[in-house]
Parts: sequence; C-alpha cells; structure tokens
Amino acid sequence: MRQTRQPEVAVIGAGPAGLAAALAAAQAGLGDVMLIERDLELGGILPQCIHDGFGSIVFKEALTGPEYAQYFIDMVGRSNIDVLLDTMVLDLTAERKITAINSRDGVLEIEPKAVILAMGCRERTRHQILIPGFRPAGVITAGAAQRYMNIEGLIPGRSVVILGSGDIGMIMARRFTLEGAQVEGVYEAMDHPGGLTRNVVQCLQDYEIPLHLSHTVTFIHGRKRVEAVSVAEVDADFEPKMETERRIPCDTLMLSVGLIPENELSRKAGIEIDPATSGPVVDERMETSVPGIFACGNVVNVYDLVDYVTQSAEVAGAGAAEYVLQGRKREAPIRVVPGRNVKYVVPQIISDFDRDISFYFRVEHPEKAVVTRVSADGEVLSQKKAKMVRPPEMVKAKAGPDALKDGHKVSEIIVDVNAGE
Amino acid sequence: MQQMEQQSIKRKHDEFSLPLPASAEVVVIGGGVVGCAIARELTRFTPDVVVLEKENDVADAASKANNAMVHSGMGEKKGTLKAHLNVRGNRMYDRFVEGLNVEFKRDGMFIVITPRSLSFPWLRWIPAWLVRQWMRVCLPWVLVAYGRGKGIKGLKRVRRKKLLRLEPNLTPEVISGIYDPNYGRISPYKLTIALAEHAVINGARVCLNTEVMGVRVEDGEVRGVITDRGEIATKRVVNAAGCFADEVARMAGADGFRIHARKGATLLFDKEISTVVNHTISELRVPLAGHSKGGGLMPTIDGPLQLGPTAIEVEDKYDTSVSREEIDWILDRFLYLIPTFPKSSVICAFTGVRAPTEQEDFVIGVSDKVKGFVNAAGTQSPALASAPAIAEMVLGVLQGLGVSRTLREDFDPVRPGKPVFSKLSDAERQKLVEEDPRWGHVICRCEYVTEAEIVNAIHGIIPATTVDAVKRRTRAGMGRCQGGFCGPRVSAILARELGIPVTQVTKDGEGSPLFCCESKDLLKEVV
Repeated sequence: MRQTRQPEVAVIGAGPAGLAAALAAAQAGLGDVMLIERDLELGGILPQCIHDGFGSIVFKEALTGPEYAQYFIDMVGRSNIDVLLDTMVLDLTAERKITAINSRDGVLEIEPKAVILAMGCRERTRHQILIPGFRPAGVITAGAAQRYMNIEGLIPGRSVVILGSGDIGMIMARRFTLEGAQVEGVYEAMDHPGGLTRNVVQCLQDYEIPLHLSHTVTFIHGRKRVEAVSVAEVDADFEPKMETERRIPCDTLMLSVGLIPENELSRKAGIEIDPATSGPVVDERMETSVPGIFACGNVVNVYDLVDYVTQSAEVAGAGAAEYVLQGRKREAPIRVVPGRNVKYVVPQIISDFDRDISFYFRVEHPEKAVVTRVSADGEVLSQKKAKMVRPPEMVKAKAGPDALKDGHKVSEIIVDVNAGE
Repeated sequence: MQQMEQQSIKRKHDEFSLPLPASAEVVVIGGGVVGCAIARELTRFTPDVVVLEKENDVADAASKANNAMVHSGMGEKKGTLKAHLNVRGNRMYDRFVEGLNVEFKRDGMFIVITPRSLSFPWLRWIPAWLVRQWMRVCLPWVLVAYGRGKGIKGLKRVRRKKLLRLEPNLTPEVISGIYDPNYGRISPYKLTIALAEHAVINGARVCLNTEVMGVRVEDGEVRGVITDRGEIATKRVVNAAGCFADEVARMAGADGFRIHARKGATLLFDKEISTVVNHTISELRVPLAGHSKGGGLMPTIDGPLQLGPTAIEVEDKYDTSVSREEIDWILDRFLYLIPTFPKSSVICAFTGVRAPTEQEDFVIGVSDKVKGFVNAAGTQSPALASAPAIAEMVLGVLQGLGVSRTLREDFDPVRPGKPVFSKLSDAERQKLVEEDPRWGHVICRCEYVTEAEIVNAIHGIIPATTVDAVKRRTRAGMGRCQGGFCGPRVSAILARELGIPVTQVTKDGEGSPLFCCESKDLLKEVV
C-alpha cells in the first residue's frame, strides 16, 4: 500500500544544510519534522571530507568534516526528527507535494505544510567545460575521487594531473600525495587560485606540488585508460595558446572545475532560479518564489564555508517554522541589487525588513583595501572595511532596519564594494 | 545491503565468456547493429548461429556512438546500394523492431533552408533577391521531387511561418523547408543489444571477448573461423566487422575493398533543455563538404538533445577522440539554427568511427573468390537505418548457400522487455518494490535508475560486465553528472554481482580499470 504522510516540515537532503535546517525547525517549536536523505547515512558530503578547517565560525575551532557533521547528527539523534534514509525524492510540486521512494516503504506521498530544499550541489564534469580528447577511465571529479579514497578505500590512480584549483582540488592534491600517488601538478585556467589562500599554502606549497596558473588541459590521451594529458597556457580570454602545449604522462586526470547547485526538484516545483547563482531566488527567511518552500545551503548558491551553509539553514529552518505556526503573507518585496564589484547577493529579495539580515555575496574580481557597504535607497545601513576581497571567498555583511533614519519603507537595497581609504 | 547480497546470484566473472562452440551453420563476425540484425534474421530459419565480438559487449564501437537516426534515404546518392537499402530498410523498421521491446519513434524531420543553404560560387552572379525567392518558392519542391525520385514518400513543403510556429526557437533567418515523415529515432545500442538477445533467445550464441585471428579456407571454400579462443568449424561466414571488415576479408583471401576510418563527433545536451526543439532538424547545405549527411539537431529517444556529427578522416580506426576543432565546428554550425541555444548545458561529447569503403558504398554479397564468405561491409551511416534491409539481403545470400528457407515453428517472436523505473507510474513502482526491494533503491540520481535495473542488466541475456555496459542498458551514469554520484555505487554492485574485487571493475573492459589499488597500497610500494 502506498503511504501518505503529513509532517509539518519536510527537509530534502541531510547534509550540513538539511541537518541544521531540520534542527532549527524543531527548535523553533515544530514537533513533526521529517528529514529525507537519499544516501545511507546522514551528513551529506561531510563524512568524506576528512581534512580539517570546518567550523571556525560556528564552533570557533577547526574540525574535520565528520566531526562537524557528527555534532548535528547527534543532535538529530536526540531530537524527535523523523529521519528517512536511503530515500529518493522523485518529485516536488508547487503545492508542496513530495513523491519519494525507498526499499522499505515503497512509494511515499508526503504532504508537508512547508518544505526546505537542501539538496546541495554537484560537480561540473569534463564535458561541461568541453575538454577535447578520448573518454577513457581515469578522468574523475574531485568529489568522486574523495569518496573513493576516504569512504571506499580505493585509489583511483598513481600519477595524477589536477585541473582546477578549487578547494576540493587542492585538498585532494594533498590527499593523493599522502596516499603515495604522484601529483604532477595543479593547473588553473584563471590567473589566481580558485580556492581559499589557506589551502594553497597548506595543501600545495607545504607538499611542493606545483600550481600552474593560466593553464588548461587541452587534450585527454588514452583510449581505455588515461595515458597522458596535454596542457597549454591560456590567454586573457581563456583560449589555449597551442604553441605552449605540452604532453604530461599520467594515469589520472582529476577535475575540480566548479560546483553547480542541484535544482532539478526546484525546477519541477516551478521555483524561480537566479541565473547568477543557479539557485532559487530567496528572501531573508530563505523562502523561495513558491510560498512554503524554503531553500538553504549549496542548493541556493555554492558557499565557500560550511559554517555559512549552517547559518543559512538555521534561517530557513526558523523561517519554515514561522510559516507553519503563524502563516505568512509576503508584501511586495524589496530587491537586493548587486552594486560595484559584486557578482551576486543572497538573499536576492527581502519580503519583511523587520530584523537584522545577513547578506552573503561574492565579488567579481580581487580587490585590496575595500569597504563593503549595504545601503537602502541611498542611505548607508552598514559598512565594513576589508583588507582583501577575492571571488572564491564569500563576503558576509549584516544590516537591519534599525539603521534607517526615519524607518521609511525601503524600495531597494544595494550591496557594493568600494575602494577604502 | 547484506541481505541484498544474499539475494543476488553470484557468478564468476569468466563465466560470462561463453565456451566457444565447436561448429556452427553460420558464423557472424562483428556484434554491431548489422551483425546482430543478420544473426537475429538468421535465427528465424536456423538456431545454429554464432556471433563473434572482440569487445566485452555488443554495440561497443560505431553502433554505440552514432546519431541514432533512422534516415529516410534523402542524403544518399541515387543508384547506390546504400540508397536502395536505406529507403527499403527505413520502410521495414516498424516490423523490424516488433517484439524487441525497444522504443522506436517515427516522428519525422524538418530539412530547413537558410540563407547559407546554397554555397555554389556561381550564385554570386545572380541577384540576391532572385536567389532568395527561388530558395523560398522553388527549392522545397526541388527537394521533394529529388526525394520522390529515390522512392521516398510523403515529403511535404513547409512554409517559413509554419516552421517558426512549430519550432519557435528556430532562427528567424530560415527561408523555408520540407518535412520528411519517414525519419525515425531509436537508441542504436539498445536496439543492437535487443537484437543480440533476441537471437540468443532463439538459439544463437554470442561470444564476447572473442577476436577473429583468421578464416580457414580450403579449396576456395570456407571451412572455419580461427579465434584467439579456438576454432569454429563452419561453411558460412558473414563479415560484419565494421571498421575491420577489410582486415577480416583479407584473412579469408577475399579482399577487394579497403575500409578507411572517418570519425564523427557529437555533443549531447542535458534533457532539461530538450524543449528548445520539438523535432529533428537538419539544415540543407549544398554542396556538402566531406562525406556527411550534414547532421542536425536531434532529440534522442531517451531525452537528451544531440548536435552533430562531424566527418573527419583519421588514420587510426580506434580514434574515438573529440578535437577542439570538432567541438567548435559543431557549435558554430548548429547553434546558428537556434540562436538562443543554451550551449552550457552540454553533458557529453563522444565520437564514433564510420567504416566507409573507397567507393563510399556498402559491400554486400558473397565473395567471388571464397565460397561461403559473405560480406556485409562498408557499413557506414546509414547502416542503422539500412540494417533490416542489409539483414534481409544477407539472409537471401546465405539461403543461396544452403541455409534453410523454412521459417522455424519454434521461433519466439518476443524478446521480453524489462521494466524501466523512470517510465513507470507510482502504482507500478510500488508493486515492484513490494516484489523486490531493490526497485526502491535509486542508484543513479540523474536518470532515476534503480539497483534492480542494474542487477537485471548484469545478469541479462547479453550480460553487462562493465560500467559502460551497465550504462548503455540502464542509463545509469548517462545523465548530467556523468556518473559522478552513481559511479562508486555501480562499481560496487558490479563487483558484488560478478563476484570480483571492486579493483577489477572496469569502465570498458580490459585495460580500463577504474582504480589502481586499495588505500595504502601505494605507500607499501614506496617503502
């Protein structure tokens, strides 16, 4: 028999975002929270992230991924949150009807009062960046390599070329080295590293792994298994300069070339997607364009720190609880507009400007000695100095309505970055 | 998981390579779409058929990497064997796939005429408005008449306004077009697998991982086929070896043609954007550069949209690489037709190698030098569309060589299909989970493939023993993440079902291991 369940909130995905969102919803007074996870265990990607550096904001200390996750997993264990593991959500409608399936219950129909999307993100593949060549075994994304090495205990290759200097790419360069594999080098198309500075130092420099900026992979050789890759310098438009092409023998090409928020379900529910973030447009409570459907974590935008994922999830969990307990009617929203040297801002809109709001944003290009500013209709609400801003590192700014001189109704909020004195 | 492990039948890896039969009435060399079609047609008359395939799976070369179109014959030169068999094969398709449980849709193709359709140098001597008028009013009728001359029925002229109504994303520069209702879409590898399995159901044996090393010929007659696994005595050999058909013919001393390799690269796009076109669309381009029918925008039967293919002569018959130039060529050529095309949605690029002869025509028939040696060679595109007619023709030849002409009474007309989770209703899904919990365990997130389907593929009639073979049968790993998420899970299921360590699981057979070793093994080597 098919089952129908009607929890107050259903959270889709039990990675760092889903765990924190479910807990926040329960803490805000909801007694019937359901947490749905497609994997066999809680924690999402964190259990395979055995390096440290998680939790510097939330816990004020450097934890490993499993440690960070375990805190929330234990909390969920002590709560009465209904956890459905190994359960795949197949469909979500704008009326908040979820269809899921698992081996124990079969097809489940879930009709919650509110939904929180926490599906996370997936990795960009070699094809999405159109690397020419053959399609042999040995071309692998960083997250998949990490799973094989840290969860399954399998080593994908012994001589590795890495394309992309995102955080996972650099962390895996170190991981391969520690396993005794030869990392021939990390190649990055941009003229600056794609990940955090601390990872450049701790993962590459400390292990003498060369980082080749302004380089890309131009060809994958080997019909059955990778035999070599060709690399070349790129010009300002990222076009390879073929005269600089050289062939590097290796048996593995590992890619760390970006993450894409996983919004297939969001699209099924007809949720508005922001082309700048590839995630849902959300308001200050992380509510999407579809009433009662909230979103948090990397499904909204790929955050650089898990701490920010947790924070966004806590906002979403509380927002969903508020929605269920009190109901919510959204007025015409205030637009949040990216200003000078700002690529995008989350949240993209503000429905009720009644509290302090954290704005997370990414800059378009690196800049030194700057002031980041949040202003409402020309009136500065908050500003903060920063020594350096870089595209890989998200910037957080807080602002609230209290700073408004006369408490008038705001029509537009601008977040921008300007040269400091 | 342990419980499931117990439920599944464990088999030893090498059991999947069938013992080589000592003899056969007919040996078909090559497990591509042509070889498997011939084998299946033969089993209507005799069960004693052996198919030899050197790769680990059928459809592991050009039959897995083409543009998946059942052409009508519009692109073929009148008077060639290719044109004749293409038109005939296309007409035979609905009956050909009957009982195979493979999805086939005949929903036609638009051939559109644009300002760049004609590129004859002398056109510049004619006023541009006149050329345009002629292309708008006359050219569609010329194409219709051209097609009719080759026996292609049902061609219709389509005006610009209608084209843009049916295909709102089409470039406004389009001038006019024709509609060819005969074009069909099918998954070429699913078809090939189904044909092979249907043949096996009816008595044929398909020997994978078996490479032909020679053909025994005595007194000008075929006596046997020598393989790397032993010899099969036979009086009739069908050479359907694709790119390697010339080499096989030479082994028998029946040479007379040369196959040169011509690769074709195709880009595949996320099914999410499939709605940018509603039909298969091809752009008329004359004169055509190179030997391609020009390709087009093709919504595949499984959802994703394909753009391509290219046509590049290559030295190496194994050159399945995609070059930067080919990618640029495809994007430049086809994105013109759909200016708003979201090209960032590409999920895969792949290449197949065509097997044309110097004469660019099929070589089908018995060798005049070696009795009992039948060629089904030169089978470049449109071999997929022509396969039913090629098989019919080869069958006729073999019957001339002594194969029975009486239909078997015990021929089973049906190759049973297996449920496909992604296409089932929730009620059907519920029923299956109740029967077998593995139907509730979704392994591939992008394409919604369950553990049950993967296990079914591994234990299928033609068993899937590699990650790619599982992918071709189930679509696990064929979606937007290209196996990033399901790869580890599929490898684990393969290892469990095949009873091998996961380090021995391969992507596509020997030489393509997914892992080099287990954790810490490399450190031991260093010490």
